[in-house]
Amino acid sequence: MTLEIMNVKLNLKNPSKMSPLKYFYLLGISLSFLVSCKNNVEKGTAPIARKVVPKIAITKDQFNEIAKLSEYPFFEGKIADLKPAENVYEYKLNNALFSDYSHKKRFIYFPKGKKMFYRPEGVMEFDVGSIIIKNFYYPSDFRNPEGEKKIIETRLLIKEQNQSWKTLSYVWNEEQTDAFVNIIGGKTPVSWIDHNGKSQNLIYAIPNQTLCKSCHMLGKEISPIGPIAGQLNRNNIYEGMVHDQLEYFVQKEVLKGLPKKEKRPRFAIWNQEDSGTLDDRAKAYLHINCAHCHNDLGPAKNSGLNLTYHEKNKRRRGVYKPPIAAGKGSGNLKFSIVPGEPENSIMIYRYKSTDPGIMMPEVGRKSIHKEGLALMEEYIHSLEM
Amino acid sequence: MILRLKAVLTIMSVLALIAFLLLKSPTMPSYNPDRDYLDMEIPILRAFITAQDSSVIDLPEGHYLFSQSLILDGKKNIILRGKGIEKTVLSFKGQKQGAEGIRISNCKNLTIENMSIEDAAGDNLKITDSENVTIRNIRSAWTGKVSTQNGAYALYPVLCKNLLIEGCEAIGASDAGIYVGQSQNVTVKNNKAYYNVAGIESENSSQVEIFNNEVYQNTGGLLIFNLPHLTVYGENVKAHNNYIHDNNLRNFGVKGSIVSSVPRGSGVIIMATKKVALFENKIENHKTINSSIVSYEIYVPPKKKKKKKKKKGLPNGVRQVENDYESDTKYSAYPGKIFIYNNQFKNKHWFPALDNDFGKLWVYKNWMKIPDIAYDGILPKDYYTKGQQINPEYKVCIKNNGKINFAALDAANDFNEFSNDVGNYECEVEFEKSI
Repeated sequence: MTLEIMNVKLNLKNPSKMSPLKYFYLLGISLSFLVSCKNNVEKGTAPIARKVVPKIAITKDQFNEIAKLSEYPFFEGKIADLKPAENVYEYKLNNALFSDYSHKKRFIYFPKGKKMFYRPEGVMEFDVGSIIIKNFYYPSDFRNPEGEKKIIETRLLIKEQNQSWKTLSYVWNEEQTDAFVNIIGGKTPVSWIDHNGKSQNLIYAIPNQTLCKSCHMLGKEISPIGPIAGQLNRNNIYEGMVHDQLEYFVQKEVLKGLPKKEKRPRFAIWNQEDSGTLDDRAKAYLHINCAHCHNDLGPAKNSGLNLTYHEKNKRRRGVYKPPIAAGKGSGNLKFSIVPGEPENSIMIYRYKSTDPGIMMPEVGRKSIHKEGLALMEEYIHSLEM
Repeated sequence: MILRLKAVLTIMSVLALIAFLLLKSPTMPSYNPDRDYLDMEIPILRAFITAQDSSVIDLPEGHYLFSQSLILDGKKNIILRGKGIEKTVLSFKGQKQGAEGIRISNCKNLTIENMSIEDAAGDNLKITDSENVTIRNIRSAWTGKVSTQNGAYALYPVLCKNLLIEGCEAIGASDAGIYVGQSQNVTVKNNKAYYNVAGIESENSSQVEIFNNEVYQNTGGLLIFNLPHLTVYGENVKAHNNYIHDNNLRNFGVKGSIVSSVPRGSGVIIMATKKVALFENKIENHKTINSSIVSYEIYVPPKKKKKKKKKKGLPNGVRQVENDYESDTKYSAYPGKIFIYNNQFKNKHWFPALDNDFGKLWVYKNWMKIPDIAYDGILPKDYYTKGQQINPEYKVCIKNNGKINFAALDAANDFNEFSNDVGNYECEVEFEKSI
């Protein structure tokens, strides 16, 4: 090694006196570098493959699930209007997971006489047969969210006989006349006019059947995420009247055990300044966008980062917490949150990224949530050193 | 004057050429099978996603290319099979999603057999938290020239119970070819491992039997390791009737990983593990040590260097060397109850590899001979009992291995008591019947 370096130095000093032999060696060395570089490129590149279909079935398994969304008793009238049928109740959450700016309409279906039971912490306890329904759609014009829209997919969480939850999703056809059971996922282009009148578009990724578990695992069980007291505690409009959402459910006999009003927790709403302090709004935002993994039982438990709304420990919330398993996701930064310095916080670095090896959350978005990012930056900026 | 300069230049050039050749050789080997890739990604992905309890997934003949991992979770009685190692090939070359080729978790009664798995970005086959697992007739490989860019583990069962790996081949892993981590009741037999950094590695696993394997042309052949700060610790490992030879490949492990500190030319390394029986193996032609018994401390950099701690991100699952092993109170950093007997040692190399400290040590202390068995002699505080007897926990016995070169290093005391006397170690270790 030293010899080589000496040699190169010598060349620099005596450029005219290089022996022809040496050119040969230098050529050899450069060639060997070139070859190794070429190898590097080749390792990561996918070769071309010819598309084929199996001649004999790979498996005897049938996907024995209901094939179409219209076979469920969820909606009446034109299905794309998403008008709830009997036993189907619309609900809203104080904060929603960011899913590439898609809008969501949520419902719960209770079989006749079935209900949910209030839980002060965690997800409501649902009777067997309950189905949580979430529709993902894009209004053509975000300034008129009730106007023309394109529904992409409908995801279901079904409480089964054995008390465990099952995930299923249905992808809508172009004509918006029905949705069909989804196994392998896919991609679809969407476009809309945003709140400022600017037209936007992106390729929306529909996750495959196994990806549901990336977010909906709590310990070894599948679990809903949204329907917790702090998120459901809000107003909603039913039959043209404003109701307290939880009390409306009690009135409809689908919710039992609701405590007095002052005993019900309520999350701040991330984008409504009058709903809570900056701290509370940021915590609410982090809860719905991150805590489905970053909790003590979730898939990100090994990271040591806990972003549930009620977590008080600063280090567990990320303040001066070094990365554990971030790999290149750390961006060479030292801490998840550096108070006052969003630009030096891994949390911001990862939320700003759309590289699959870096970005957080790992699935469910292809674009950056500018408004949410601004809130997080403001929050980290406000934290004291 | 000019003539002299010319002469100097020529000598320099010749030296440069020699240096160049030394640096380039030995060249890394390649594995270049003929491939004609087909795309059946969607039907095969669908079969994985729709799998239920007692599913059989039958993969047809052909070389199938995938852009994403194939994932299976939480199922019972699953059979996943191809038409044969040469016939069914699953390639993940250039994959865009996921790090693993096949990832299986939380399964019970699982058999995966008769296919090749190639070129995943991370691990080719990873199986975690599963019970009663059989991995049979699988060739798990990275194609092309052996490189640091290859994935970490070829066959990677971790946190499993009742595991059988047989008739497999592992090629080109930048960490371990056949790796068994944090698992119980493991049999590894009739496999081949070559062109990996570690050929076969048993790490923090217990009740392990490794036999009839051929392990060659790796950096290190067979590693029996026990590392700190993991969920479980390993003991009771039996390795016999293996043919472990010519593991002299340049170490191409990712910097900072534990295997990247294994010197090339290591046949068998038993590190910080208790109750290990190594018998009736053929161990040959290693340029550093045919077999060694060492403590974890030998891998830990001296404490004064601590401030130069690099916090580089390592690929998933790759173990780093940890300085703070002493904070793990359940962990013992020293080997013990080691029994090495009835093995055949040979070495055609007459000069040790000088690219590692062991090789240099043999030059200075061992008449340039490469030991067949070396024992680092880094001893725990409680090595001697009150009566000045060796604590049976740390006993090392070496018997009936023919005429061998043995080296007790006394590495803790600057090799002061370096010794070739194997006589002190002629004893027997009793093993429980469980292994």
